[in-house]
Amino acid sequence: MGHGRAVRMFQEKTHKRARSTKVLVSSLWIYIRRYLTPLILSTLLILFYSLTALVNPIIVKSGLNALNDLSYKSFFYGIGMFFTQLGTGEFVQIQKRVDPIPVGAQQFQQLIPLTIAFLAITVISWVFNSLSTRVTAKMNSQMLHDVRGDLYRKLSYSDMAYLKNEQSGNITARVTSDTTELATGIHLLTMLGSQIILIIGAFTLLMLQSWVIGLISLAAIPIAFLMSTVLSKFGRRIVLRIRRSFGSVSGKMAEGISGIAVAKSFNREEELATELRELNQKHYNYSKQFGMLMMFIMPTMSALSYLLFIVIIYASGGLNLPPGDIYLAVNLSQQFLFPIVMLAMIFPQMETAFGAMDRIIDVFEAKPAVADIEGARDLMEGDDSVSFQNVSFAYVEDNYVLRNINFTAKSGELIACVGHTGAGKTTLFSSLLTRFYDVQEGSILIGSQDIRTVSQSSLRQTIGLVTQEPFLFSGTVMENILYGAPNATEEDVKNISKMINADQFIEALPNGYDTVVVEGGKKLSSGQRQIITIARTMLADPRILVLDEATSRLDAYSESLVQAAQRELFKTRTTFVIAHRLSTIRDADRIMVIDQGKLAEVGTHDELIAKDGIYADLYKTYYIHQGLEDIELSVEELEPETLEKELQKPMVVPAGMAAAMPGPGKGSMHARKPDKKQDKKHLQEMKKAGKTEEVKKMKKNQKRKGGGMGHH
Amino acid sequence: MATTTIEKEIDKSYDYDLQKTLLNKYKSANGWFWSAFSRYPIIYLIAFILLMCSAYLSIWTLSMIGVAIDKLIIGINAGNAFSPEFTRAIGLMITFVLTSWIALSLNVYLWAIASYRVQRDMRQEFYEVIQNHSMAFFDEHDSGVILSMGMNEIDQIRMAIHPSLRMLLSSMATIVLTTIFLWQIDLLIGAIMAGAFVFYMIIAWFYARKVGPIRKKLATDLADLSAISQEMFRGVDVVRSFDNHDKEIEKFNTKSEEYAEDMKREGYLSAFYWPALITILAAAGVFSYGLYMAVMGQYSVGMLISALALLMSLNRQNFMIPIRLISLQAGLQNSKRLWNKMAFKDPLSEPDKYQEGEWEKVISFKNVTFAYPGTEKRVLKNVSFSIPSGARVALIGGPGSGKSTILKLLLRLYDPSEGEIEINGTSIKSMYTNYVRSNVTMVEQDIFLFSDTLRANIAFAKPDATDDEIREAAKRAQIAPFIETLPDKYETIIGERGVTLSGGQRQRVAIARAMLSNPKLLLLDDSTSAVDIKTELRLRYAMEELMKDRTSIVVTQRLTTLVASDLIILMKRGEVVDIGTHSELLQRCPDYQFMCQHLPMSESLGECEDVDVVAGGRK
Repeated sequence: MGHGRAVRMFQEKTHKRARSTKVLVSSLWIYIRRYLTPLILSTLLILFYSLTALVNPIIVKSGLNALNDLSYKSFFYGIGMFFTQLGTGEFVQIQKRVDPIPVGAQQFQQLIPLTIAFLAITVISWVFNSLSTRVTAKMNSQMLHDVRGDLYRKLSYSDMAYLKNEQSGNITARVTSDTTELATGIHLLTMLGSQIILIIGAFTLLMLQSWVIGLISLAAIPIAFLMSTVLSKFGRRIVLRIRRSFGSVSGKMAEGISGIAVAKSFNREEELATELRELNQKHYNYSKQFGMLMMFIMPTMSALSYLLFIVIIYASGGLNLPPGDIYLAVNLSQQFLFPIVMLAMIFPQMETAFGAMDRIIDVFEAKPAVADIEGARDLMEGDDSVSFQNVSFAYVEDNYVLRNINFTAKSGELIACVGHTGAGKTTLFSSLLTRFYDVQEGSILIGSQDIRTVSQSSLRQTIGLVTQEPFLFSGTVMENILYGAPNATEEDVKNISKMINADQFIEALPNGYDTVVVEGGKKLSSGQRQIITIARTMLADPRILVLDEATSRLDAYSESLVQAAQRELFKTRTTFVIAHRLSTIRDADRIMVIDQGKLAEVGTHDELIAKDGIYADLYKTYYIHQGLEDIELSVEELEPETLEKELQKPMVVPAGMAAAMPGPGKGSMHARKPDKKQDKKHLQEMKKAGKTEEVKKMKKNQKRKGGGMGHH
Repeated sequence: MATTTIEKEIDKSYDYDLQKTLLNKYKSANGWFWSAFSRYPIIYLIAFILLMCSAYLSIWTLSMIGVAIDKLIIGINAGNAFSPEFTRAIGLMITFVLTSWIALSLNVYLWAIASYRVQRDMRQEFYEVIQNHSMAFFDEHDSGVILSMGMNEIDQIRMAIHPSLRMLLSSMATIVLTTIFLWQIDLLIGAIMAGAFVFYMIIAWFYARKVGPIRKKLATDLADLSAISQEMFRGVDVVRSFDNHDKEIEKFNTKSEEYAEDMKREGYLSAFYWPALITILAAAGVFSYGLYMAVMGQYSVGMLISALALLMSLNRQNFMIPIRLISLQAGLQNSKRLWNKMAFKDPLSEPDKYQEGEWEKVISFKNVTFAYPGTEKRVLKNVSFSIPSGARVALIGGPGSGKSTILKLLLRLYDPSEGEIEINGTSIKSMYTNYVRSNVTMVEQDIFLFSDTLRANIAFAKPDATDDEIREAAKRAQIAPFIETLPDKYETIIGERGVTLSGGQRQRVAIARAMLSNPKLLLLDDSTSAVDIKTELRLRYAMEELMKDRTSIVVTQRLTTLVASDLIILMKRGEVVDIGTHSELLQRCPDYQFMCQHLPMSESLGECEDVDVVAGGRK
């Protein structure tokens, strides 16, 4: 009895089943039906195997009973002697043989067919068993593959909200472990039949032998089930505790490994090791309890089986059975006991399998993703204007995140979208325009086509999306960029990277384009990850582009390089930029301001400033401090309390103060203090942008390369 | 500070040289695996003796069946079935069974206890050794794999010892004792059994060797399968937006097919466990021979029954032995894998003769060239500079210029491939890593916080810090007002199981953490820029506090910080372009002028979230 099995046997039910066993079995039938032939075959084979297991002791019995009719001399003392001597350690030559009785030779010839039958049946039994294992293995593996494939396909095309709400680990558990549980369940189902046959067969034979012995054997049933209930009661609790403590050891270790750089920086290895040791000790203490439980189960089961046959032997004394029959009774009692123990173990496992089936059906019944309508046409080329007509949308019923959005972007226009966190910017572009979800009210049109009437495939080839979270697949950087355009060449990848200034980033990686992305890009900075996702989308060459804070993780310098280059790429496409930087917004043809799910303002930068509404307010609070004037804010002169207050009001810096820069950290330096007057002078020079020849030259280069500077 | 660290080293409460100790002690992976028995020799010895006892008693009980039946027949023939001899035999059997039951129970318990201890100890050893490897190791290895080694594979090693090895021993004891018994009764049967046993074990071992790798393959197949699935569901919007579902499904199906194929292969192989035929043949042989001998009057019926009962119990081992052998082999293989990771040859080694440095004085890079271990690319080329005592240094450069690498070298997370880093003339290589790190603190760009309380995170560097110290650090780091708004204040759990902090908040917690460690040299990586103006202000203020009164090196793009620095080091593709003050560089260095042009400062339309939002985190 291995631990693995024992642990499984105690697995707690994590999930209350929503469906009855009947419903589950009938759903299971869909799969069982496909494999009916191998299933029946393997059941038959197991059945034959079980029968041979019953026939063999009968043969032995006849042999033994035939013998008993012969005259014999008792040699059991030899055995007794042997053990006595083994016990005391005295090994002396044992007198094993007495005078041979040559009469028996003839009788033996009568027994020859019996020995042949014994051998034949044992071998046949082995063959049956092996064949059934083989058939089952083939069937199981194929069925597992089928269920997994179906499930994965179904999940892939499931509703976005469903996938987003579940953790990816949970979904994966549906596909991997639940399917395994299910396959185990089906396997157990086939075993269940054979075990029951074995039990009934053995019991019938026992009753035929003697009803007394039959009844004695019956005593095994309550004992086996009592054990199994006691165990599952205590066992489940202990296993649960072990699991939890295992989880906490695992969590601690995981954290220790992923935070290793911090632990090293702060010299905290020793403390972390001590913390782990404590958890480890706790895990050991619970495991000890499990050891105690195991100590109870296995030896007790085997002791019980021994006691059972001792009682049977003793009882046969009163029944006057011939030795062959006693042997048969002893043997059958074991054949009877073990399947019962097996059954006691199979039931909890079946329960687990049904639970898995239940969760799998949940998936099959989950809401599918938006589907193409019948006769969906491809999106036509030519007109890439996008219009939102009275769009309202709610993820959860009646909880609208967007209301009555009306807006039209002309073909090739660059639209910037600004607004507070949670205003609905991402939903509008990343979720609705891409048709990950359908709008509740209104419609979205590209050109003159409602996106609900076109094929999703053509829609998604038209729209390129760069998401907020840079997500990379495992594989090389090159493969990642090629993800959206499998037909592009490596040369294309390098060209596009150069065009968006991504090549500097990629070449800085240890193996350049061949650097392998592991663990979602552990070794890459988030900026590097982001730039790769931009290159990936650009290579796919979409006609409509959605950039959702696509450069937010780059440092300021890199971002200005990348953005400058991007503008060239925006020119030919309709582009929506959810923006966080002033430079992008300034470049936009028009700006949309989304506020609390509504389109609050639309217009160019100047128009919106003149309007003095939400945008102007945002601008004053956040952008006006940009540039060198900002240095005016010398924080260190403020006490934290003052700082708090200072932060409450929008900060407007008097223009005249622009050049005065005390610089933070004044007085905290004990080394050379910067010559402020000098710096001031130079900064003023800087502000006039490109006083020196070199700067001018560089600016020109930059323009040629990407198309314009970040500032003015 | 420095001395306390060194004292810890001598104290030996935590062995920083555990790797060396273990390598010397256990020599090899096998040595490590089998060391289980030398760790708790007495428990294992007692357990082993008990195991032998119980096996011995079981066999005795089985052979008593025949004795009892013989007595019964004699009794019946004599007219009294329940003769005293028969009753005594039954009584004896019951005694044996009960004694064997006690022996076996104790054996299982003791063996389990010892093995769980071994599991605990090995897991701890593995973790501590791995933890002491330098960053070169962690760059090379997937942390998920290392974790699964420390948890699952250690479990498998334990399972190889308990229950597998225990049951194997029990099987072997049964087989050997049975053979000896039969040998005593009849030389021929004994010889057949002994021969069959040896042959059987050899074949079973080879069989297990064949199945083992497929099992392993199945495990990796399954891991790959879940990795594929997990990746796809995490990135489902990317997959969908590129319309690549079919490609992903194809990828999954290919792997699933492979898994099914391997599963089938394993099933086929284990279906025909033909070593079982050996025991079957042996049993049939003994049956025929015994029958013959009985007919010839050599054996009693009871004796034959005993022999059969013993053979049947041997046959039952057929189910056990292959499974146990496979598990034992898996355990040995896992210990080899783990041992290899533990024996990692670290490019960074602790000095034999350590020195201390004068961190208050000049810190200099001398012709430092560096490539990350295992890579060719030189990320630093011939870098030289000196940092005067107490200076504020700013590091600036484009992507891939090597700025962050310089910080990592100063923390001695890596050693330079060529050249030296010197602390007032003393090479950093001659200092213990933990000594270096007790003097240097880094606030990294991607902040890592532990899922623990805020207090624990802030006091990470100084676990014995008082409440006042923690509050003071938090206050100076500008995070105190925020913490005060939380219901549990400093006891708030953060991270996965608790409150999610925004980027700016995380940064300030990290600053508070660094504040308490009170380093002589401060390293700050401050290149992220996507924060709103309020956050920015707080951050800058916090950083100012942190930089007070110590030498600092800041990777930055804040013009304000650049202007206020005593020294700016401008890097480009791993080389130093120029060193000087802001005004000097502005005057003479075109690269610097270009960069300054491209620093739009905090030109961000950060999110309009309130500065003191408690739980935020974007969707």
